[in-house]
Amino acid sequence: MTDNIKVENDIILDVKNVTKNFPGVVALDDVTVQIRRGEIHGFCGENGAGKSTLMKIFSGVYPYGEYEGKILYEGEELHLENGAIRKATEVGIATVYQELTLVPTMTVGENVYMGREPVEKGGINWDKLYADTQKLLTRYSLDIQAHDLISRLGVGKMQMTEIAKALSEDAKVLILDEPTSALTDAEIEQLMDILRRLKGHGVTCIYITHKLEEFFKIADSITVLRDGKVVTSQPTENLNVEKLVNYMVGREMSERFPKSKREPGSVLLEVKNLHAADPNESSREIVKGASFNLRKGEILGIAGLMGSGRTELVMTIFGEYGKITEGTVTLNGKELHIKNANDAMHEGISLVPEDRKTHGLVLMQSILQNISLPNLDQFASWMRIDDLAELNASLQYAKSLEIKTPNLFVPCDSLSGGNQQKVVISKWLMSKPQVLIMDDPTRGIDVGAKYEIYKLMNNLAQQGIAIVMISSELEEVLGMSDRVMVMCEGKSAGTLDIAEATEEKIMALATGIANGNGRSAG
Amino acid sequence: MNSDSNTSNNSVVSNLVKILRENIQTYAIVVALIIIWTLFSAMTEGRFVGPQNFSNLFRQMTITSFLAAGMVLVIVTGNIDLSVGKLAGFVSVVVAKFQDDIWTQVFPEQGVLTTALSVLIGLAVGTGIGLIQAYIIAYLKVPAFIVTLGTMWIMNGAILLVTEGKTIAADQPALKVIAQGYLPANVGWIIAVGVVALLFYGMVSGRQKKRSYGFELAPLYLDLLKTIFFSVLVVGYVYMVNQYNGFQIPVLLLAITVVALTYLSNNTRFGRYAYAIGGNREAARLSGVDIRKNIFSVFVLMGFLCGVGGVVLASYVGYGTIGAGQSYELDAIGSAILGGTSTLGGVGTIFGAMVGSLILTSLGTGLQIMNIQAAWQYMVKGIVLVVAVFGDVYLRRNR
Repeated sequence: MTDNIKVENDIILDVKNVTKNFPGVVALDDVTVQIRRGEIHGFCGENGAGKSTLMKIFSGVYPYGEYEGKILYEGEELHLENGAIRKATEVGIATVYQELTLVPTMTVGENVYMGREPVEKGGINWDKLYADTQKLLTRYSLDIQAHDLISRLGVGKMQMTEIAKALSEDAKVLILDEPTSALTDAEIEQLMDILRRLKGHGVTCIYITHKLEEFFKIADSITVLRDGKVVTSQPTENLNVEKLVNYMVGREMSERFPKSKREPGSVLLEVKNLHAADPNESSREIVKGASFNLRKGEILGIAGLMGSGRTELVMTIFGEYGKITEGTVTLNGKELHIKNANDAMHEGISLVPEDRKTHGLVLMQSILQNISLPNLDQFASWMRIDDLAELNASLQYAKSLEIKTPNLFVPCDSLSGGNQQKVVISKWLMSKPQVLIMDDPTRGIDVGAKYEIYKLMNNLAQQGIAIVMISSELEEVLGMSDRVMVMCEGKSAGTLDIAEATEEKIMALATGIANGNGRSAG
Repeated sequence: MNSDSNTSNNSVVSNLVKILRENIQTYAIVVALIIIWTLFSAMTEGRFVGPQNFSNLFRQMTITSFLAAGMVLVIVTGNIDLSVGKLAGFVSVVVAKFQDDIWTQVFPEQGVLTTALSVLIGLAVGTGIGLIQAYIIAYLKVPAFIVTLGTMWIMNGAILLVTEGKTIAADQPALKVIAQGYLPANVGWIIAVGVVALLFYGMVSGRQKKRSYGFELAPLYLDLLKTIFFSVLVVGYVYMVNQYNGFQIPVLLLAITVVALTYLSNNTRFGRYAYAIGGNREAARLSGVDIRKNIFSVFVLMGFLCGVGGVVLASYVGYGTIGAGQSYELDAIGSAILGGTSTLGGVGTIFGAMVGSLILTSLGTGLQIMNIQAAWQYMVKGIVLVVAVFGDVYLRRNR
């Protein structure tokens, strides 16, 4: 396969005037777009713009009859019903979701052929299964082995397994929904290579991401959705990030990061040479010597590669992960001995976790119940919770964070990512922390909501709250922090003042190049 | 976001529809109950809803209802308790033993004192064993399924030990009162009036409090409608039971228990934490909830309720038998699930479990009145349970 495979001018997916309504919401409004065979077609738009809805129509989650308009697939009308999701895969439309759908206790081969195992004399033909899997992996140059156990693989390789699964069903159209949110930079490059190779094999890819720069590495054309409508659909060469952002939010976003003048105060939190062990395996160290200072009213960014131990560090400080074996955590001069989240809260430390859905919210419960959960002591006397006081207080936080909802009794699983994150932040603000730790606070959130959260963080810092922000987006780290602490392999590799920090310096520290053999320089 | 719609203010019909849709599960099972009652009435020429049967029906459901009420919280936190039947049975046998055997050697007159002591001992036994289970499950982290299964077997053996294979009489008048006693008619009416007054007072003071916060109030007619509806239920019930022998004492005990537990679930931190743990254990943990303490408390409470159930059982049957409590755990779990408690945790109401218990008991007694043999009763119960849960799952999927 040569690099200059011409993207054929034949349309594999022709979407004509598709409209999809939900009670009270128009998810897709007269959408017309064309996806060419063999191209990598990017889709972007804020949360709620309609991207997932459209993908769900392609993949059969919303079968024929649940939307208006026509979709032509390979020239014929797409008519998915009666087991639409299965049909979609059969005709060659496959989706690789953000949440991976693999069985961790099984192998790559077992997962790839899940439900379609080759059968011989009533039993599974394991030889054929693994042989076929290996053939597939080799054909598309995927760097995993058919016998690899999923639970031992990193996220990047898990994703390769998902892609292999899709390809094993002869996918002609591969939909990738936010494929890079959990990948390291190296893994992202690998994914891009795989997609380029797939393109060489004639596979069409639909690529959805919030990381706009990625489109310019790999997409042939980009479609922008806003409020269910197609705002534009053009070849990538005619676009750039600023134009995309413009199209997405419909207004000039001259700056992605709000400006803020603030003077950080005295040192509030001191972490000295912290070492912590895995709670399940005490011989394994997960924090290998981390140190930093945090001042009142400052935002300290913590950067580092995935796996560098940032989340483990903050979870340990919060009392809910590693067992501290060495080193100290001091707040206002007092050494802390935090054993669980409750202790941390009482000392004035709050943590907005990395994964809001599994760790931050009880999704089936209402916004109100989620906001008040760690703070019920504020509204309880004796046995009784004063539910009106609870509602009153929660309303104030919901208002000041501008959570978009008709009322607080809505369950959290019906909120968008940005609003869900605001609920998590509200709940921790209500406990009036001195130190607010935020682990990847804008992950999976659209541009507009990100900006609101940045503004909020600046406000909080201005009020004197000390913020620790873990982020994997270097631009975000550089745009928001007053200082940057970089972690590498469980240790603090170095701290930079924002004035002197650059992407290159941070990466050098994060990869251990700067420190040679990675000796701690905190 | 407008705070106005945190308390509603739209048209009559849309309000009613909204309430209906929000509580559809509760309404569905109440409707199912009414349908079952109607069907059985028709098939037994009205005998089913006659005052005597009505009174007995409610009396009979109380024992497993105590267990079901506790089971709701257990399942809500994501656990299960298989020991409740045999534990209640063990308590009933212990109570009978004290009444029949032990006290006669110490206090020859069988008075209120000895009965009171027996009851206390019964409650203590239930709570004590609940405590041990609770510790093993919450702090030693042994799965609840295993622990309670083990306890069930142990209790089975314990019952045989205490009864020595025989039936022990427990029919002293003071004990009988608990499950076989009735309140005089006028006392019943006083209670009814009192409850109605409380309901209206609650409505008024609730509205006043909301006003003081500046929340917009639900239209008066809606609140009135709710209060009147429940008042009618209470008055109607007292009327029905007064036509036979009066308000049943075990039902009174159960009503107090239900009110207390509902309050615990909805208005205390303990209840909130339990539902949060069931909804998302990790998120609850990271929100500072003490999971071990909460699960511990849930199982201690369950043990206490087994104690109550066991005492009422001894009084109801008038004997401590070797088969005491057999299969009660299945009724308890079935009632809870019929009433809307989800096996996945995080969802469920005490009131729903009571309706579920009524449904199961009604099925049993209805078929009995129709002289259908016990075998069919089991089958019908099983079919109804599966169909009901299927209906619930189906409704949820298509909402």
